[in-house]
Amino acid sequence: MHHRLRRRALPFAALAAALLAGCATNAPQDFMKPEGPNAQNIDDLQRFPFYAAGVVGVLVMVAVVYVVWRYRDRGQPIPSQHHSGNLVEFLSIGGSAVLLAAIAVPSFRGIWDLAETDDCKMSVNVSGQQWWWEYAYPQQEGIERPIVTSGQLVIPTGECVLLRITSRDVIHSFWIPKLNGKKDAVPGRVHMLRMEADNPGMYLGQCTEFCGLSHANMKMDLVALRPDDFASWVSMQRVSATEIADVASTPAGRGQEVFENNCARCHQVSGLTDAKGNPQIPAADQSLVSGAAPNLTHLMSRNTFAGATYSLLNEDCRDALMALPPEQFGAKYLAGVDDGCLNVVELKEWLRNAPEKKPMYPDANEDGLGRGMPAMTSLPEGQIDDLVEYLKTLK
Amino acid sequence: MAIIEQPAGRLAPVTGGVGPLASYGAFRRPIESTGWRSWLFTVDHKVLGLLYGVTAFIFFLVGGIEAVLIRLQLAQPNGKVLSADAYNQMFTMHATTMVFLFVMPMAAGFANYFVPLQIGARDVAFPRINAFGYWCFLAGGLFLNTSWFLGGAADGGWFMYAPNSGTLFSPTHGVDFWAFGLQITGIASLTGAINLIVTILNMRAPGMSLMKMPIFTWMVLVVQFLLLFAVPVITVALFLLTFQRSFGATFFDVSAGADPLLWQHLFWIFGHPEVYILILPSFGIVSEVLPVFSRKPLFGYPMVVFSGAAIGFVGWGVWAHHMFASGLGPISVTVFSMSTMLIAIPTGVKIINWVMTMVGGKLRFTTAMLFAIGLIVEFTIGGLSGVTHAVAPSDTQQTDTYYIVAHFHYVLFGGAIFGIFSGFYYWWPKMFGRLLNEKLGKLNFWLMVIGMNLTFGPMHILGLQGQPRRMQRYAEDRVGEGFFNLTFWNQVSTVGALCLVVGISVFIWNVIVTARRPANAPLDPWDARSLEWMTTSPPKVHNFDAIPTVHALDEFFHRKYVENEQTGEMEHVATAEEIMREQEANAEQNIHLPSPSYWPIVLAFALPVIGYGIIYSKFLIAIGGAIVVASMFGWALEPSVADDSDLEPPSEGGSTKEIATVV
Repeated sequence: MHHRLRRRALPFAALAAALLAGCATNAPQDFMKPEGPNAQNIDDLQRFPFYAAGVVGVLVMVAVVYVVWRYRDRGQPIPSQHHSGNLVEFLSIGGSAVLLAAIAVPSFRGIWDLAETDDCKMSVNVSGQQWWWEYAYPQQEGIERPIVTSGQLVIPTGECVLLRITSRDVIHSFWIPKLNGKKDAVPGRVHMLRMEADNPGMYLGQCTEFCGLSHANMKMDLVALRPDDFASWVSMQRVSATEIADVASTPAGRGQEVFENNCARCHQVSGLTDAKGNPQIPAADQSLVSGAAPNLTHLMSRNTFAGATYSLLNEDCRDALMALPPEQFGAKYLAGVDDGCLNVVELKEWLRNAPEKKPMYPDANEDGLGRGMPAMTSLPEGQIDDLVEYLKTLK
Repeated sequence: MAIIEQPAGRLAPVTGGVGPLASYGAFRRPIESTGWRSWLFTVDHKVLGLLYGVTAFIFFLVGGIEAVLIRLQLAQPNGKVLSADAYNQMFTMHATTMVFLFVMPMAAGFANYFVPLQIGARDVAFPRINAFGYWCFLAGGLFLNTSWFLGGAADGGWFMYAPNSGTLFSPTHGVDFWAFGLQITGIASLTGAINLIVTILNMRAPGMSLMKMPIFTWMVLVVQFLLLFAVPVITVALFLLTFQRSFGATFFDVSAGADPLLWQHLFWIFGHPEVYILILPSFGIVSEVLPVFSRKPLFGYPMVVFSGAAIGFVGWGVWAHHMFASGLGPISVTVFSMSTMLIAIPTGVKIINWVMTMVGGKLRFTTAMLFAIGLIVEFTIGGLSGVTHAVAPSDTQQTDTYYIVAHFHYVLFGGAIFGIFSGFYYWWPKMFGRLLNEKLGKLNFWLMVIGMNLTFGPMHILGLQGQPRRMQRYAEDRVGEGFFNLTFWNQVSTVGALCLVVGISVFIWNVIVTARRPANAPLDPWDARSLEWMTTSPPKVHNFDAIPTVHALDEFFHRKYVENEQTGEMEHVATAEEIMREQEANAEQNIHLPSPSYWPIVLAFALPVIGYGIIYSKFLIAIGGAIVVASMFGWALEPSVADDSDLEPPSEGGSTKEIATVV
């Protein structure tokens, strides 16, 4: 008897194994493999409904197959036209109610736990716009001066960081699957989302509320660093870029001039000054619907560009970084993007013709505003090279 | 309304002169019952039902082509089949077409054709409004799709969230076409709802109490109430959108103090009942098909009716589960999470009742039955994945991923569409007097079962592993490693979509093959149970020679079979032919039938003129408006009867063949 049962169980076990093996390994947005307490909380909640649904599903299917086989027309007489089914009805209502209650009650606890905001020490203002995210760190304990960055949201491990999420144009949704569920970025509203990572590393996500043309390209990385590494990151971000005084003699210097003439209208690099020696303040609101463009002061400290659509690291270097054990990750990340690792091909393609690499609407509408970075096809190739040299200095 | 009484004894068509009732009114009514005019001006619920069905099926193919293009684009990372702009239009129009131009009107087609037959009526309560509804659906659907050729279709997703739907973010006219096109199809739904509610409540055959009413008619009734209350909400939302886009209103403009979540609430207060509007007619169809091919009454008929009504009520209290990530507070999330779980109970009741209907039966596996059983299985999968995202925290992970796409395609393809195909195979002989080929039917069924599971099954994995929806492309660095990476599953899904194409082509082939055969289906090919089988196939233009008096649920079956009181066995006491002959022998002499009318189609096609006017020129609005007013006068002033209608009442006790061909 036992032997027969085991033999029957074998195909099922094989099927289950095939299903499990049927999933990709290391899919970076797999939310069934949480890496922080909030996502873990959700995963704990979702396991039981998954298993319960699986069992009920199998039961229904077995029942259907059995009934179909057992009551097929084998010449039996037409059955009686009477039913007495009250017991079945009550059992099915009662049974499903009990099962649903078992699923519901713990989930209510989860809803309130995940809505908690009081226990987070740090907060970051997150603004979505077509088609990138800006992260603004207000002045707070451990951050003496506000920091504005984009592409990669950097947080310390082991503590709750509260994201205050909003949008500058349409609705977006912020999602780092391995750390927490989604939260919509709605213009005119600020929504809170808890973020906490157990270990240092890069956690990938992308916008999940349809936000127009380049929705598919609106990505975000979350970088978690050990608290001491995070403190180093903060102190690095406080430093302004060094303005190159001699703009003629070096490629980087010429690149700085190209940047000031073509890019500084929207993009901030703190440390740059205008002819009178005043700080250059971009006026992105005069060119863009969202009124903002990514701050590039520390471009090379993060390893993405184009709103995290593309990697600043070439493929090998990125793979190597992602594969590092958590304890070595921080130091490597803080080292930034060096010359040998720069994804120079795609960066140049982007600088030449951004809307081709990432569909956007840079053309001015009737109010003179566009959505996205225009193509700079008029720039000669030499100036693109110089520009890249300049961007490399923005560590 | 517009139902005329033809004087007894007027057997031959009147070929000239003025009829007794036509002496007033400024406008003549059309008289043709054959030729193209008869199709354009018909008010016959059966003809309109067929028109609904054929038109909806064509839109099904359009939506299917859109779906295939989407799947081809996603067959590999960084796909090049569609540009980002084209892709966004494609998925917007795929959903819009499938929901508003296929499933809803297809259900309206079945309801139009079979509700009057199932309740023993000769037509619907308001035949001209019925015709108006169909032409509105066609006008709206065509208007919507002309946007493809006029600068691009809508690109904001079928949910059309503000502020992305505004002119600032969607400057082409696509959204304008979308908003006004759906407004026009909404008129079709709303008028249809009122019409069918009045028909079902007022025009049932003598003896047919509500609890003796066929279950399909019951589900249609529930759906019409859902439409009656849901369509006005989307109507308001669409008007706000049109006014915002075309006339400078600021209902969703954040800089003017608006909250864009207003649109989401309006859309989903309509949108969630809409889900039940899509699925309940198919529940009704399989609840007809399962008893017929199990040769047993529907198990727990009162419970199935009640659970349908319960879904209809609770369906109003779950809309915000589409918004768990929108930033509602935890109280709202908890409440809507609870109500969402609650609605699983009546749905589960239905599934158990369907299985129990088969228990103890004598099952025949016709194609109609296979699709019904397929619905039980596939819908159960979709329903269960639905329970997993009723858990609000889990939903914040699952929402807007392919896991959701998998869920609602199991519900809508495995549920609504399987039900519709079950209905095709079951009712085809009734509509056309021809049985669809069963061998091709089974091939069609298995290809669609395999195809849908290949297409939508892998989407569960894609979603749980983090692939979001509405992505024109996915990057290679996010598909994971191993042979079974997300690219692999996307490819499986694309292969599945192609398999569905083959499956649906087999259906079309089956229709063509069948149409070439003689119309020789038996009167009662399935040994059916309800009133629509108590007339010829296709039914006579006046449906029944004599309106049957109803004594029981499954009246037709109980006229054929009687339980032997000693043995308890069912004894065959009458054939369908005998019952038919008896009816013909008692044919009624005074048959009420409505005359055709010019005005429904004219009025309906004035609406897109207004639509083009809103987009292009105020002048056209005036013209369209003038036609609307003129046709309303025409509608009101036309005589209630055509003065020389060639519609015939049934001949006395004799053959009804000629009348049947009039259709």
